[in-house]
Amino acid sequence: MKHPTTEPPLGGETAPPAATTSSSAAAPESAARGRRRLWSGQRPRAALAIVAGRSAGALARRLRLGGGTSLPGLVARWLDPQVLAYLGAQLRHGSVAITGTNGKTTTSGFAAVVLRRAGLRVWRNREGANLLRGVAAALIIRGKPTGHLRRGGDAAAVFEVDEAAFPAVVAELRPRVIAVTNLFRDQLDRYGEVDTVAEHWRRAISTLVPGAQLVLNADDPAVASLAGSDTAHTTVYFGVEEAPRDDTDVPDGAARAAVEVVDTRTCPRCRAGLVFSRRFYSHLGHWSCPACGYARPQPDVQARAVESEGLDGVRFVLVTPVGERAVRLSLPGLYNVYNALAAAAVGVAMGVELTQIREGLERFTPAFGRAERIAAASRDVRLLLAKNPTGINEVLRALGAVREPLHLLLALNDRAADGEDVSWIWDADFERVAAMPVAALTVGGTRAYDLALRLKYAGIAGVGIEPELAPALTLALERTPVGGTLYVIPTYTAMLSVRGELERRGYAAPYWEQQDA
Amino acid sequence: MRERERSEGATLVLGHLYPEQLNVYGDRGNILTLTQRCAWRGIRLEVTALELGAPIQPDAFDMLFIGGGQDREQEEVARDLRTVKHEGLWAAVEADVPMLAVCGGYQLFARFYRPAEGPELEGIGIFDAWTIHKGKATPRCVGNVALAWAGSTLVGFENHGGRTYLGPQARALGQVLAGHGNNGEDQREGCVHRNVFGTYVHGSLLPKNPHFADHLLHLALAQRFGDDVCAALLTPLDDGLEWQAHDVMLRRLGLDPGKVRSDGTVESTAAAAL
Repeated sequence: MKHPTTEPPLGGETAPPAATTSSSAAAPESAARGRRRLWSGQRPRAALAIVAGRSAGALARRLRLGGGTSLPGLVARWLDPQVLAYLGAQLRHGSVAITGTNGKTTTSGFAAVVLRRAGLRVWRNREGANLLRGVAAALIIRGKPTGHLRRGGDAAAVFEVDEAAFPAVVAELRPRVIAVTNLFRDQLDRYGEVDTVAEHWRRAISTLVPGAQLVLNADDPAVASLAGSDTAHTTVYFGVEEAPRDDTDVPDGAARAAVEVVDTRTCPRCRAGLVFSRRFYSHLGHWSCPACGYARPQPDVQARAVESEGLDGVRFVLVTPVGERAVRLSLPGLYNVYNALAAAAVGVAMGVELTQIREGLERFTPAFGRAERIAAASRDVRLLLAKNPTGINEVLRALGAVREPLHLLLALNDRAADGEDVSWIWDADFERVAAMPVAALTVGGTRAYDLALRLKYAGIAGVGIEPELAPALTLALERTPVGGTLYVIPTYTAMLSVRGELERRGYAAPYWEQQDA
Repeated sequence: MRERERSEGATLVLGHLYPEQLNVYGDRGNILTLTQRCAWRGIRLEVTALELGAPIQPDAFDMLFIGGGQDREQEEVARDLRTVKHEGLWAAVEADVPMLAVCGGYQLFARFYRPAEGPELEGIGIFDAWTIHKGKATPRCVGNVALAWAGSTLVGFENHGGRTYLGPQARALGQVLAGHGNNGEDQREGCVHRNVFGTYVHGSLLPKNPHFADHLLHLALAQRFGDDVCAALLTPLDDGLEWQAHDVMLRRLGLDPGKVRSDGTVESTAAAAL
């Protein structure tokens, strides 16, 4: 990273437009300012698109068709394919696009709070509405019939973006910062293999405007290598320097290799086998290639002295080019330390002060369904979304810190948003559950029997099976004593169903009401 | 190696080909299933990784397994199969060692793989079959799948871009009841040569198809210990949950689990309703 401290400070009314100091001397004027000039004239077509998109969204909500989250974008882009570029260029503080297999939503949440601490108004897209139309919708609903953004566009936007939609979103949005969290196998039937996904992201990076910055995970070889030979943009790397391994871990060596999913084993440059001097989970760690010498870049934003507080949180020392701070997150696990680091690196890239970064990270409360706590029927329900082997391994690792008898509901759906191929459950380390003090275990979802079978082969008996999630939730709650905690580990649509059921029973607010104004 | 005594508890040795490179489609589920179904019967299943560069020692393995991987890994593996593993693998085929090859492994056990672009990938030709990728315009074969096999059914998930075609000498593993199978054209799925089974079905394949898992174990035990000992060792297990999971999938695919015909085909629930 070359220019972290030369960024204009954020916050206050006098903050300049989305200007990042370009490392290219050929671009003295801010890219964002140049872009706005391009769109300086009125664009009647965009105005029409905004009106139509907003009307469609309002109608969908009135007809109770759900949150109507992507519809405004869909309609508006149909009327004006350039509308996202047009509105994106009006954002005075630019936009941040965040992608990756795991942690998109949580990282976006952290980043939004960090930027708010810096005094910015932050607009986000809605949970799950992370395709092109969802990102467009997030700006359409903040658009005026004149074709301009509300409040003169005095805001920054933070968008979580689907892995495959990333190139299209980046090409249209022209973000100021892009951040990539990690790359794991996920929904092979939908996304293809991890190499295909990395290729999407490289394509996105090739379309970045001058002055844009990259935030990349140094510990993930496939992500760290994305910058490639790009020297036109500044990259802020983040990584974990040291973290303890928990006591339920399988020892290193053959036994570990047999149970752990590692999606990147070979050098992104020369394809030789990588070696790890430290490996935190899956292929995240301190890697190097013995053949060509390519190695983990030294991260600009680091976590040291990571200390787990079980499911309640985690502490670490945040190290940045402008100083260090002790940080405590209200989210559990090393995977959330990575999410927080990514957000801190976004903050660093945008010139946010270290104190504000720390405050933002500490104030952030769990995103929808991610270690979210909901009181229900005199019990605590903890929703722990897990949608792929690494995700579930990390959730189980965090659960391993709970010492009292565990009451669990595992829910596996195979709808399009979950991935129709449930093979991945055989790669997840459910053997860990056999070592936990489990008092009651219920499985639900469209593939409840597959999950029960997976648990049987992990040596776990006495599983309650109920594919329908409403009765499964009832059953799991009944099996949890009053005052106890029910841990729910669902895939994505199963999480929506369980949460929807909790809403229907009056225990939780509908999720679109929780979103930022 | 030969002296694995029954009194000590029988031991089988499974050679897992390229677990580092080929592990994409829940292949671990197949190994886990074989391991546990052995353990529940007091049989020890020893799993040995056969990585790149490691030859297959003659008579060292009672079973071999090869899974699927990403394209870039397939190439390395193909080269290693043709050179380092070639002799040992063919010896095992001739010795009727049971083998299971899934997805990418299935393609590499056939004659060749012709990608949409780039050079042909030469397989080792255990199966008289070949695979052609017709380019990105041709959709992948993705989804749940069911086939008729040995008077019963197999269920799972398939996800392959290449279309596999069987030569005149080749025998399919089963007949497609739902899904695409080898190529989505001829209703055939997988391939069998001697005791070598190739298939696109994962999910994982073996957990929900306990009869197929036991068939592989039966072949391995009979080879190693003879029919009598095999029969004594391969005691029946309670597969209630396995078959529930199996039948849930059959029903979702519109097939009635109660109506499996002796040739393994199943009356569809839709047809029954007419």
